[in-house]
Amino acid sequence: MKELGMILRKEFWHVLRDKVTLFLVLSMPIMLVLLFGFTISSEIRNAKIAILDHAMDSQSKSLIDKISASGYFQVVSYPENETGIDHDFKSKGAKLALIIPAHFEESLAKEKIATLQIINDVSDMNVASLLNNYIRSVIYDFTSDYNDLADDPVLFDISVKMQYNQEMNSVYMFVPGIITLIMIIVTALMSSITLSREMETGTMNMLLITPVKKVYVVIGKLIPYMLLSFICTIIILVLSVLVFKMPIRGSLLLLLLLCIIFMLTSASFGLMISALVKTQLDAMMVTMMGLFLPTVLLSGFLFPLDNMPYFFQLLANVFPAKWFIIALKDVMIKGSGIQEIWLYMLILFGMAVFLIVISLSRIDKRRKK
Amino acid sequence: MVFSIDVQDLMKKFGDFTAVDHITFQVKRGEIFGFLGANGAGKTTAMKMMCGLLRPTSGNATIAGYSLKTQSKQIKKSIGYMSQKFSLYNDLSLFENMQLYGTIYGVKPAILKERIHDSLEDLGMDKYANKLVGSIPLGWKQKLAFATALLHQPDIVFLDEPTSGVDPIVRREFWERIYKTASTGVTIFVTTHYMDEAEYCERISIMSHGKLMLIGTPTQIKIDMKVDTIEEVFGKFVKR
Repeated sequence: MKELGMILRKEFWHVLRDKVTLFLVLSMPIMLVLLFGFTISSEIRNAKIAILDHAMDSQSKSLIDKISASGYFQVVSYPENETGIDHDFKSKGAKLALIIPAHFEESLAKEKIATLQIINDVSDMNVASLLNNYIRSVIYDFTSDYNDLADDPVLFDISVKMQYNQEMNSVYMFVPGIITLIMIIVTALMSSITLSREMETGTMNMLLITPVKKVYVVIGKLIPYMLLSFICTIIILVLSVLVFKMPIRGSLLLLLLLCIIFMLTSASFGLMISALVKTQLDAMMVTMMGLFLPTVLLSGFLFPLDNMPYFFQLLANVFPAKWFIIALKDVMIKGSGIQEIWLYMLILFGMAVFLIVISLSRIDKRRKK
Repeated sequence: MVFSIDVQDLMKKFGDFTAVDHITFQVKRGEIFGFLGANGAGKTTAMKMMCGLLRPTSGNATIAGYSLKTQSKQIKKSIGYMSQKFSLYNDLSLFENMQLYGTIYGVKPAILKERIHDSLEDLGMDKYANKLVGSIPLGWKQKLAFATALLHQPDIVFLDEPTSGVDPIVRREFWERIYKTASTGVTIFVTTHYMDEAEYCERISIMSHGKLMLIGTPTQIKIDMKVDTIEEVFGKFVKR
């Protein structure tokens, strides 16, 4: 035990004395949260919309009023036919068009059904899907207003229910993502770099020649960075709650436990990477290409997984980030408890155990070869 | 006679390449044994096997009375090692480096503190105990690394090209320390590619292409080979 304590002290000396790296690591979460929070606002106001009103009756008027009053849209034109819509997209900058069918009021009253058509300018996919959500929520409002007054409820062909993030607050989307990225950078990247550094400089051989247990050397490497990434996580959470009013609806204890499990998973990824490569540079490249990029692209953090080809959806399951982000969002935004997220925690823990076993046996093999 | 190092038919293969080809030799207790050979001759591989860093493909060795195959844990405790590349931590102080290695070799804290103090004083570095190792000259670092390898009072010290890259004066001082250490009964196993250093050893061996070509005292070897310096002996083997 005294040996482990000494190894840990040594590792903390390394971490605390490398002031530049330490400063970078600790300021990274602050910068990322503020950057994402203030610059990447995915909220859009006064988007230009064209409305083709075939009905021209009182209900269609009231729907149009509702849209203009929502604050999300600015009606730029009322084209007379479908070709007019195309023209407005091109020349008037409309991003979205709504087509109200003829006899709107009549079909609402008699057939109890109405079909509205939305046309999106999908040249910017993110904007399009956002606007689509906005218009759907406005129509949904209109529907419920109408149904409040009507005797029989009317069926609308568009049914969107926005839950948990009614205000479409972008903070909710990026905070779990940033936590994930930081943990990967600090735990997986840093620990794989420091482990391969010792192999590169030959100090690892020095340590392995001593009677100290190999597992102590590895634990000693991982713990300081796990602790550091835990501090980063706390910084992110505090910032998002204080500055961006992000709620933590579930149990804070569960949230922290989840983070600790994910930390273990990324640390074991770092361990495996350093067991595979020989130099610091390789460790960095492999972590970036093999773990960081897939995490950004395939975790559902920036790009929704549901829109991806099936192969990539399958591939995403291999990377821990996807499971962590789902669980993190569930706990923070939905307020889920352990009974809803235990499976994700188990998956992450299982990955960690698997990776640790693989890499320890690999290090052993390489040493004795 | 019980040998400090007794290597029997040690062999190491990496795939098809035989790095160490069935070597057999003995080193007495307190002896300064020079292990020579060109780069790639298999010195480092042989030494790594003796230290328990690499597992031999076949053969065995008895190091400090323990069998390499079955008692590697005891061997690790009884040997010290100083590597070719300077292998202390630059971002740790002199004291901290010594404390680290002393502790993981299991030296009790109170005893360790005393030994570090004595050792630094002996080196004339006690004033710099809290300086970072990165800030001291290379020659100092190597003397420090040697002293660090001795903190747990090992029976044998393995020195892998300990003096590469330092000036003649420091090398001389270093060898004085080696003699001093050997006189206390510690076996010194040293690899070097400075041929003048080979003359300082009590006995030397020359390795070439994984094989042990000859072994003996420098004087005896020179007489047998009818040459004036070990350098000439070495040249004959390296050219082949």
